[in-house]
Amino acid sequence: MKVVTWVLRILSTITFAYMCYLVYNIMDVNGVWGWSAPYDFVVTVFRLLSFIFFLISTMIIYGFAFILLGPTPATNLVVWLYNTVVLRMWYMQPYGVSEPVTNINEMFANLNANLLNIIGILQDNTFLFLYFLCAGIGVALFLQTLVRMEHKYVGGAFISIQAILIIAAFRHLTLPNYETYPTNFITFLTGSLQILALVSFAYLEISYQMIYSYSVGKPVEDREETLKKQLLALRQATRKQDAIERGEKIRTTAMGRSTGATAFSFLREAIERKIVGSQEGLENLDAIADVRRLQIYIDELLTSDPNARDELTAKASAPSGSYIIGSTILGSAIRFILVVTVSFLLMSPQVLLAPFNLPPGILNSVELNQPEIVLLFLVPILLLFPFAALLISWFSKRDVEEETRISKEAEAERKRRKKEEERKKKEAERARRARKKRKKSEEEKDEWDRVLEEMYKQ
Amino acid sequence: MLTQRGFVVVFAGVLLLTSGFSFANWYLTVIGVYLLVGLVVTLPLFALTANVAGLEVERRIDKAKVFSGDFLQVRVKITNKSRRNFDFIEVHDAYPETWILAIGENFLASRIEPGRSMTFSYILQARMRGRYILGPTNVIIRDRLGLHYYTRSLEAPTEILVYPTWKDVRRLEALGKQRQLGLMFGAHRTKVVGMGTEFAGFREYMVGDPFRLIDWKTSAKRGEMVVKQFEMEKNVQIICMVDSSGSMGNGYPENTKLEYAIRAAVLLTHMGLERKDLVGTCVFSDVVHAYVPPSALPNHMYDVLDALARAEPHGWSNFEAAIEYVTARTRKRTFFIWMTDLEESPAPLLNAMKTLVANGHKAMVISPFGPWFEAPVGQFGPVEKVLAEAVQEELWERRSKIARALSRFGISVVNVGPEDFLPTIIQQYTKIKQKGAALL
Repeated sequence: MKVVTWVLRILSTITFAYMCYLVYNIMDVNGVWGWSAPYDFVVTVFRLLSFIFFLISTMIIYGFAFILLGPTPATNLVVWLYNTVVLRMWYMQPYGVSEPVTNINEMFANLNANLLNIIGILQDNTFLFLYFLCAGIGVALFLQTLVRMEHKYVGGAFISIQAILIIAAFRHLTLPNYETYPTNFITFLTGSLQILALVSFAYLEISYQMIYSYSVGKPVEDREETLKKQLLALRQATRKQDAIERGEKIRTTAMGRSTGATAFSFLREAIERKIVGSQEGLENLDAIADVRRLQIYIDELLTSDPNARDELTAKASAPSGSYIIGSTILGSAIRFILVVTVSFLLMSPQVLLAPFNLPPGILNSVELNQPEIVLLFLVPILLLFPFAALLISWFSKRDVEEETRISKEAEAERKRRKKEEERKKKEAERARRARKKRKKSEEEKDEWDRVLEEMYKQ
Repeated sequence: MLTQRGFVVVFAGVLLLTSGFSFANWYLTVIGVYLLVGLVVTLPLFALTANVAGLEVERRIDKAKVFSGDFLQVRVKITNKSRRNFDFIEVHDAYPETWILAIGENFLASRIEPGRSMTFSYILQARMRGRYILGPTNVIIRDRLGLHYYTRSLEAPTEILVYPTWKDVRRLEALGKQRQLGLMFGAHRTKVVGMGTEFAGFREYMVGDPFRLIDWKTSAKRGEMVVKQFEMEKNVQIICMVDSSGSMGNGYPENTKLEYAIRAAVLLTHMGLERKDLVGTCVFSDVVHAYVPPSALPNHMYDVLDALARAEPHGWSNFEAAIEYVTARTRKRTFFIWMTDLEESPAPLLNAMKTLVANGHKAMVISPFGPWFEAPVGQFGPVEKVLAEAVQEELWERRSKIARALSRFGISVVNVGPEDFLPTIIQQYTKIKQKGAALL
């Protein structure tokens, strides 16, 4: 299984790398990969923030200074503060200022005149930065996929890389596209955008197959590993306890303790209760006995039943590697062919509308050449698949209710017992009610005192 | 059903598709369509293959009745009866929440071919007394890409009866072995002077004594007629009346009043059987749930354990019905040990005791005192502390009253807490033996 997973891991890496390469090439044509883009973006944002900070500070200082000193000294103070604090200590200047400030009003006027320009620069830099960000996230998630083998990372990596193209489309950059949607399948397949589309889809398919191959064999391997750890931890715990009982000194290693603790909840609980591995633990005979008895039980089980170990590890349930290879190749090929063919049909209304002999006004309309026309057949036909699945599952009687297999005699016995119990309860309740009635009619007095008095009277 | 990752694919597909529409780009549209079609295109095929009805689950256990604290191996076998592959199948076998998974795992994920089966096992520790059901087994079938799944819960219940813990008996035995005094330590077989073979002593001759009992040698020495006395060992008959009313269920889990009463009953039965006494058990609340008459048969202990294992705290205590039921089935003089918290109305209890004494039986009450089984007063705030003490006093007063009332019938009440419940039962049993109460 490991070999199959590794092969698929390599294939997944290749397809991902190729997908990234294609996207890089597409975006490179538009000249977006200026490597200074992230730095420019950060600097732009920082300068903008500097400006906002400066603006707010100026307003506050102006306000206070005006109240305390009058209008002229306030301007001088702000200029002095700006030149000292911002220029010397921060080394960043707000937009519209390139030299030490002599006049605040001039600075604001300058900034006001260039505001739209500044926002434009910020927008450009933001988009450039977004391409890098998406690429970075995509690569990071892909690397996570290889290590953690989880679907969410595959999906994340795919969406991140495709997001670059979505953002580019939003910015009206040049992207692979059909001039008019092809009505010929071969033209459809050989279009410039098909390579990227197929590689992207292949990346998803191969990555999902890789995770399947990993997850179908992994539980059995994990199970075996866990069992080994559990048995080892159990034996260590028993030996340790024996040594304590004999009065020998034992060496407790952090490693040993953590292995035991993580091995299984049973021993973990004993360790948490400070039962195993301590002198005080000896006093808690039950917990010590539990660990020992488990050890004895396991020893007996493993010696008396030769299949016990295999059953505990579920070794026999491990799937064969050859089947996984065969079914992966066959399954992926079928899916690929089906997806491409069905997609082509769904996206080509002309092909599907041909038998209807529609008027040329409709067949040659602009609407039929727009991407939105895809929805005409896509939605109803896509919904047909789940509907077909629903019908199949309904016919195959998947949700057969499990009937509890109870014999007629047992059922009759159960009913009789229930009836008897109900009768007894009713009788008891009647007697109780009668007693209560009697009690109510008598004077209000503590029940216990009354009963005792009655008792002593006799 | 669509899995979470299936929804991610739907999201990605719709995002790309709408982006394609918005920016009039065929690439984004095509990849969006690919994703959506890829998601559903194999769904009918999956529905056809993943016929959960073709799966059969069989669970086997090595013992159907275990003691609390014992280990149990559970084997689960899943057989694919259909003619199709299950690419990915997850099997989760449920076990009672209070139990501990000691070794192994209770789930398996793999694939299964037609006609084949897969078996896995795990070891559980049964923690609490009672009747438990293993199962159901939840089966999840997923397609290869993990986009769709079907689930099914296969009931296949396996009933297991967990007897009360045996640790008290083990501890008692260990204690006996440590002291090397054997089983009879602390308890003496009740001896009755009269019939028998063992010499007990001499007494003065009385008119009517058989001549063969006169010891001539001793009579000559003493100068008066004396007869030899012999003694006979007799056993006692005890019935343990375990109250399983709702109030007996109060206290910490595993340490409720009822649990202690049950442990005490187990201990008493064991001691009785060891010493050839006859000990019976009755579990009652508003009705008599189980009655095991006193016996010395080899399987008697298991009958008692069976009855006690099924006891559940509910209802109220109907002492009269219980005593009526038991006395009707008990001909010999018996010593009744009631294990009840005395939180019911006193009149029925006194009536029941009257009936009991009138039938020539003897009794005593070992009563777990409620507040001692609940949260320690130290854990309370000042207000709760005052309230708790007030309640405790009130209950104690009631208890004293009932003890006084019962003492008129020669029935003593021993109040016990969690620490002294079991020692008290051993002590009382020893006393019964020494006094020779309810001799057979």
